[in-house]
Amino acid sequence: MYRVIALGLLAAVSAGAQQNKRPDPAVVERGRSQFKSSCGFCHGDDATGNRAPDLVRSATVLHDTNGDQITPVIRNGKPDLGMPGFPSLTQAQISDIVIFLHNQAEEALHSNGVPRDYPQKKLLTGNADAGKAYFNGAGGCAKCHSATGDLAGVAKRYSPLDLQQRMVYPSGRGAPRVTATVTTADGQKMEGRVVSDDEFDVSITGPDGAYHSWPKSAVKVELHDPLAAHRELFTKYTDADIHNLYAYLATLK
Amino acid sequence: MFTRCFAVLTFAACLASAADGLDPKALLKPPTDTWPTYNGDYSGRRYSTLSQIDQSNVNHLTIAWVAQVRSVAIKSTALEVNGILYFTTPDNVFAVDARTGRNVWHYQRESQGDHIGQRGVAMYKDWLYFETPDCHLVSLNAKDGKLRWDVEMADPKLGYFATVAPLVVKDHILAGVSGDVTDIPGFLDSRDPETGKLQWRWYSQPKPGEPGSETWPKNTDAILHGGGMTWVTGTYDPELNLIYWGTGNPNPVISGAGREGDNLYTCSIVALDPDTGKLKWAFQPSPHDTHDWDAAQTPVLFDDTQNGAHRKLLAQGSRNGYFFVLDRTTGENIVTKPFISTNWSTGIDKRGEPRPKKEKEGTPDGVLVSPSSNGATNWMAPSYDPDTGLFYLHERRSWSMFYMTAEGKPEGWAGRDRGLWENSVLEGLDTKTGEIKWQHEMGDGENTAGILTTAGHLLFTSDNNENLLALDPATGKTLWHVNLGGRMVAPPTTFELDGKQYLLTPVQNVIFAWKLP
Repeated sequence: MYRVIALGLLAAVSAGAQQNKRPDPAVVERGRSQFKSSCGFCHGDDATGNRAPDLVRSATVLHDTNGDQITPVIRNGKPDLGMPGFPSLTQAQISDIVIFLHNQAEEALHSNGVPRDYPQKKLLTGNADAGKAYFNGAGGCAKCHSATGDLAGVAKRYSPLDLQQRMVYPSGRGAPRVTATVTTADGQKMEGRVVSDDEFDVSITGPDGAYHSWPKSAVKVELHDPLAAHRELFTKYTDADIHNLYAYLATLK
Repeated sequence: MFTRCFAVLTFAACLASAADGLDPKALLKPPTDTWPTYNGDYSGRRYSTLSQIDQSNVNHLTIAWVAQVRSVAIKSTALEVNGILYFTTPDNVFAVDARTGRNVWHYQRESQGDHIGQRGVAMYKDWLYFETPDCHLVSLNAKDGKLRWDVEMADPKLGYFATVAPLVVKDHILAGVSGDVTDIPGFLDSRDPETGKLQWRWYSQPKPGEPGSETWPKNTDAILHGGGMTWVTGTYDPELNLIYWGTGNPNPVISGAGREGDNLYTCSIVALDPDTGKLKWAFQPSPHDTHDWDAAQTPVLFDDTQNGAHRKLLAQGSRNGYFFVLDRTTGENIVTKPFISTNWSTGIDKRGEPRPKKEKEGTPDGVLVSPSSNGATNWMAPSYDPDTGLFYLHERRSWSMFYMTAEGKPEGWAGRDRGLWENSVLEGLDTKTGEIKWQHEMGDGENTAGILTTAGHLLFTSDNNENLLALDPATGKTLWHVNLGGRMVAPPTTFELDGKQYLLTPVQNVIFAWKLP
C-alpha cells in the first residue's frame, strides 16, 4: 500500500520480538529440522499451516520474546484444541524451534522486496537465440549497443537482477544522463549534463565543469535523452521479449 | 429535582464548550473561516469558496509567517479552528497560532510501529482525535493538548499501525487502520467521541457465507487474512446518510495464487451507514489486485445535471490508473476511463470494473507492468472545482518489473516490483466523460503534493522541482510560482482570519502561510 517502506522502518513494525539481529543460519536450520519432525505434520514443514494453524501469522509467535510465549505451548500443548504437549523436547531443541519460527515470521515480514542476491536461474527462462535475434532486429538494440563493444562482459558487471533491470531501463551509477544544448539570445551555445530542468529554469554542468543556469524565457533549450529509445520499448516489449533478451545478455560474459 | 438540575447544567456546559470548540455542524458547509476536517468539508473536494486571493492578485501573495517544527516531513492537513492550527507528524500533534505561526502546545507520544506518515487530526467540540503508529486512537483537549483517553484499536504486534486522519460524523469518530506487511484484515471503526468505546466495526471482508464471500476461495483461511486497509479519510453525504471509504489492496500483496476470485471488499469504494456500519453498496476498482493498487484514494462527492436530471455523484482517481464516476446513491458506474497508459487490464466489464490480466501478475522471472506498485496516483489529495466541473489529479506515468519471490505458501508481500522509470503530470478531467481537458507536466519522479482549488479561480499545488504553483483551473496555465526549497508532501489549504484569506503550504517540516499585503 505505501510507496516506500524503508527496511529500517520495517524492523519497527514489531511483529516478532527478535527482529533486531539476524539469527545464525545454522541454528535456523537446526530449528527447521526439529520443527519438521516434531510439528510439521500438523503445522506444515514451513510452519505455514496444515491441519493445525499457520504459525507464521500466529499472535503467539508475534508476541513471543525469547520463547516466553511459545515454550509453554510446546511443553504443555493445547489440549482443548487437540494439540499434545512435547515434554520430551530439550530446552535447546525448543529454543531452536523458537528461532526458526521467528525467522519464518521475519521472512514474511520482509517479503516486500526482491533480494539483491536473487538467483539467476529464476530469471533465466527465455531463449538466448531468440533474444539475440530481437537484439539485432525488432528490438532495435543494435542501433545503439554492441555485444562486442559497450556490452562486452556486461553479464559480469551486474548481479542477475540488476542486469535485467538495467537492460529494460538503465538507472543508477553509470547510466546515461540527459544533456542539453542551451542557446542564448545572442546566439551563443553551451552543451552539458542537465542538473535541473523545470517549467521556469534550466541548469547544466558546462564544458568548464561549472554550474550554469538560465530562465527558460531567455534561452532555447534542446534536450538530448539517450534513454528515450528504452522508454519507447515499454509499450512494445512482450514479457517473452524481455526474458529472451535477458537470456542473451546473460551470455555476454 | 437533582437529576433535572444536573441535566440542565450538563446541557449548558455542552453549549458553552461547543461555542468554544468545533460544532460538528460546521462540517456540513464549505469552509470559509475554518478548515475543520481533513478535506475541509465532507465532500472531499478541497474547494474553498474564498475568493479574496484571485487570478488578478495572486502574484502579490506575500509570506505572512513561517513555522518550523523539529520533526520529520509534515504529511498532514492542518485543521484551522478559532484561529488555531492543529497538525501532525507521526507521534506528534502541534497546535500553532494561525495568525503568527507561534507554537501554542505540542503533544508527543513515542511509540513502536510504522512511522511512515500521519495525515492529521479530527475535531469534535473541544476534543482532538489522533491515530498513532502503534494503532491507538488518542483524544486530546484542544485547549492544551492534554491527554483525555487512549484506546488500542488493533494489535500492533500483528502488524497494524495507523496514519489516517479520523472523520467526525454526528456522534461517531470514524477511524481507519493501516498495515499490509502481514496478512491481517482491514477494518473501519466507529468510536464514541466521549470515551473511545467501539460503536461498530466494519471489516473489509465479509464473514464466510455472507454475500461477497464467494469472491474468496472456499475451505481456506484466505478471507480471514485478506488485507484491505482503510488508510485514507473518507467522505460523507448527510442527505443520504452514507459515508464513502476506499479500501486497500488484498493480502498476500503480490501473489494472488492463494486467493482466487475478486477478493471483495478489498480495493473497493464502499458506502456504509455511519450509524450502524452496514454496507449499502460497493464498487471495486481493482478486482483481484496483485500490484498493491489500493483503491483508498479520496472518494470525492459532487452533483451535476445530465439531460435535465439531477445526479448525486462520486469520483475517484484510482491508484490503478483509472478514473471512476459513480452514482453515489446506488453505486452504479457512470464513467470508467484510464487517465494514464496502463497494460494490466483485459477490458472493462458490465459493472464498469477493469478486469485484470492473469499474465501481468508478478512471476519469478519478472513481468513488465504499468503503473508501478506506487501507483498511477496515491494518497495525494485530489480536488473538484464546481466552477469548472473538472476533477484534478496528480498522476504518475510509471513502469516496473513485478516479481513473485515466495517459495512455498506466499505470505506477506511475497514479492515486489522494481521501479524502472516514472514522471508526473497534473490533469484536469471532465467528470461527465473522463476525458483529459488539460495536462500540466510536473517533472521526473513521483509527485507527492495535494491540490486545492478556490473560488478565486485558482488551483494551488507543487511540482517535482520544489515550485509552489498557482494555476488557472480552467486551462492548467501557470499564473504564479515560487521555489520553496523542498518537496510538498501534504495538500495546501486556505481559510479566512481577521478578514484576510490565508494560504497554507507545508513543505517538508516547514509551514509557509501566505496572504495579500
